[in-house]
Amino acid sequence: MDDTRDAELGMREAAVPSPVVPSRIGPARLRRLHAMDRGFRWLTGGLAFLVLLLLVGVALSLFLRGWEAFHHFGFAFFWSEAWDPVTENFGALVPIYGTLVSSLIAMLIAVPISFGIALFISELAPEWLRQPVGSAIELLAGIPSIIFGMWGLFVFAPVLGSAEPWLNDHLGALRGIGALFRGPPMGIGMLTAGIILAVMVIPFISAIMRDVFLVVPAMLKESAYGLGATTWEVARHVVLPYTRTAVVGGVFLGLGRALGETMAVTFVIGNAHDLHISLLDAGNSIAAALANEFAEAFSPMYKSALMALGFILFIITFVVLVLAKLMLWRLGQGQGKAGL
Amino acid sequence: MSEPQKTKISVRHLDFFYGSNKALIDINLEMPENQVTAFIGPSGCGKSTLLRVFNRMYSLYPGQRATGEVLLDGENILAPGMDVNMLRAKIGMVFQKPTPFPMSIYDNIAFGIKLYEKLRKVEMDERVEQALRQAALWEEVKDKLKTSGLGLSGGQQQRLCIARAVAVQPEVILLDEPTSALDPIATLKIEELVSELRNQFTILIVTHNMQQAARVSDYTAFMYIGEMVEFGPTNQLFTNPGKKQTEDYITGRYG
Amino acid sequence: MSTAMNVRYLRRRFWNIFNLGMAVAMTLFGLFWLVWILWTTLSYGATALNLELFTGDTPAPGSIGGLRNAFVGSLLMIGVAVLIGTPVGILAGTYLAEFAQGSRLAGVTRFFNDILLSAPSIVIGLFIYAVVVVPIGNFSGFAGALSLAILLLPVVLRTTDEMLGMVPGTMREAALALGAPHWKMIVQVSYRAARSGILTGVLLAVARISGETAPLLFTALNNQFFSMNLDKPIANVPVVIFQFAMSPYPEWQHLAWAGALIAAMAVLVLGLVSRFLIKDRSPR
Repeated sequence: MDDTRDAELGMREAAVPSPVVPSRIGPARLRRLHAMDRGFRWLTGGLAFLVLLLLVGVALSLFLRGWEAFHHFGFAFFWSEAWDPVTENFGALVPIYGTLVSSLIAMLIAVPISFGIALFISELAPEWLRQPVGSAIELLAGIPSIIFGMWGLFVFAPVLGSAEPWLNDHLGALRGIGALFRGPPMGIGMLTAGIILAVMVIPFISAIMRDVFLVVPAMLKESAYGLGATTWEVARHVVLPYTRTAVVGGVFLGLGRALGETMAVTFVIGNAHDLHISLLDAGNSIAAALANEFAEAFSPMYKSALMALGFILFIITFVVLVLAKLMLWRLGQGQGKAGL
Repeated sequence: MSEPQKTKISVRHLDFFYGSNKALIDINLEMPENQVTAFIGPSGCGKSTLLRVFNRMYSLYPGQRATGEVLLDGENILAPGMDVNMLRAKIGMVFQKPTPFPMSIYDNIAFGIKLYEKLRKVEMDERVEQALRQAALWEEVKDKLKTSGLGLSGGQQQRLCIARAVAVQPEVILLDEPTSALDPIATLKIEELVSELRNQFTILIVTHNMQQAARVSDYTAFMYIGEMVEFGPTNQLFTNPGKKQTEDYITGRYG
Repeated sequence: MSTAMNVRYLRRRFWNIFNLGMAVAMTLFGLFWLVWILWTTLSYGATALNLELFTGDTPAPGSIGGLRNAFVGSLLMIGVAVLIGTPVGILAGTYLAEFAQGSRLAGVTRFFNDILLSAPSIVIGLFIYAVVVVPIGNFSGFAGALSLAILLLPVVLRTTDEMLGMVPGTMREAALALGAPHWKMIVQVSYRAARSGILTGVLLAVARISGETAPLLFTALNNQFFSMNLDKPIANVPVVIFQFAMSPYPEWQHLAWAGALIAAMAVLVLGLVSRFLIKDRSPR
């Protein structure tokens, strides 16, 4: 079919002499160019598909390598606090608990602070100050996490350690939550890890909050100001409700980062496979356990148990990140509708 | 304009759809060779849509389709087997806003030529100069051919785009509101250019500016909500319109 | 104005000032950590800086040395990671922006790319351990580079997608209207128009991977000696910092701080350069 078209083209060109230079490239070469078009499309599409494949590959390979531990210990793996490489008795409870609690502490600290920073940058700061402050906070996000870890171990832990006797005496004396603050004042442990994680995720959360705050239509804010509302009231009753889901999405994105953070936590969490109520006691997180033990784990069951931990971490962060993305995506949707 | 003119493009029973939304309704039209045909009408009347049928630009977008026939020298360009890239070599297009590529002035022109021809450096230089002269831009840019096309003024950028289209040596040039983003002086230059190019090319121009249509075109088509209301020699259409709607529009009663 | 209204008004004003004051305080608090951490790195690191750092290799405990082997190893792995990850990321991003814009497949891919972007880096290290280190049978610089490439890929993909998305559609149409095939239009027009944006993405990605430690722990491992062989374990700055910082030897800890300072400087410089590139592009 293509050949007949070529012939037709050729005939027509012969019949109707056009003011065309003789060196004009023929349809054959043009067709080759367009065959490359298809090739290019397949190449790029295939590589885009590779991203999906990678994610599936990560989940699958960790699950398969962890299967020995999952199979051997059964569901008890999730709630056993055992971790004994010698007798090869492993359970995931301590690292799972440590991961969740340290991230929770981080969120409790980071969310209000990030909100304040985002509010300051998007609504309060004079124009000339916004960019520098925003950039400075973003720089904090760029610092390699291992530096947070070293700073935490050598500088921050001693400072916190010297404040911990006070925590013991005052907060520790409270009923109920007091138990959280009674412990050895070493400066190392769950609380330290949580605080350092907070410092690490503040830039992420505040950057997202700032971006979504800036999305609020100026007209909406102006109409509230027009009623005589104060800046705080506009932030509280217009900006925050308008962006609520996206703000929560940003918080979840920060949470995803905190859950998987390795180096900053490994330095300061204490690396102890014990379950303690006190936040001042040493604990462990999944990421820290992997960082500390994986390269030295020689028995297959030990390796498999660590792989299983990795799989659990992947699933937890995956769920958190999917929720975060969905919530951030909703703002885009709502905005699209508002735009119409 | 005395001898009978050869028809370059004829449109027969053309319908156009954006998804299920019909944007052009049974368009019929015969456009003569080496003449300027202007398309006028209130915004949203489908004049730009029609223009984008002639180089099959719409086929980039899923959901857009045209039915009927558009014959270029007797060949139906809507036929499934049509090679759109060969078509676009014959039908050049210039857009509402100048679209210089992010490369040097020289490379902007050479880009199109290289798609179809393999030339030696000297020949290429000649062709670039020729195209820039045709677009009345040569004198202004001959000393800075290696600088970025983005550094030119809006009017110069638009003439660069015309030069780029001309360089491929097309038979037809589509101009989609080419002066809507330009100041009056730059607009005047483009209009003069169109008058000069009409000897070598069949030119179709969409414009929202009736005076522009009257100044530059030989034939004018008036469209309204997807329909071709009236088509005829420009003089006749503006001085003695055949339809009430056309008269209302050109006397400024709507649109 | 009645007194009741006046009181109410004063209360509103108080809360406004109080809360805004809190926001300022929070910002200062955030900046305080930044200054503290940077100051720590600078003061500890600067005292350990000397020429030996770049000429000597990692020493045995108690002796003097430098980080030459670690710098070389890191640069090699980052280089290989960029060579692998950048083309893959750019091409995949091209597909999303140029061929599949609004399609469901593009939406799904974008979504999961963002997940991959935020996935814990240590998990990526485990993945490479499982699919590269185990089958080959030993730790290697190549495995480390691969894990870094996986961390770099989603960043490059995303910026490419976003930057190509900002190229005006009319510019594409203008190229296609000349009869250019798609790939030529993309390579010669879209890429050029998005060039500085894509470069920024690559720089940001390099900044991200150059401080990454976790994925290297069980892929590249470490090597006490100078080596440029990517088939074998290779020294690298982050893992050396980790091991030396956790060690009880003061010489090692000094070296760890010096390494940390240089890693931080590298990341900050990359960040500043990319910021400059973004600024440079914005007027258009």
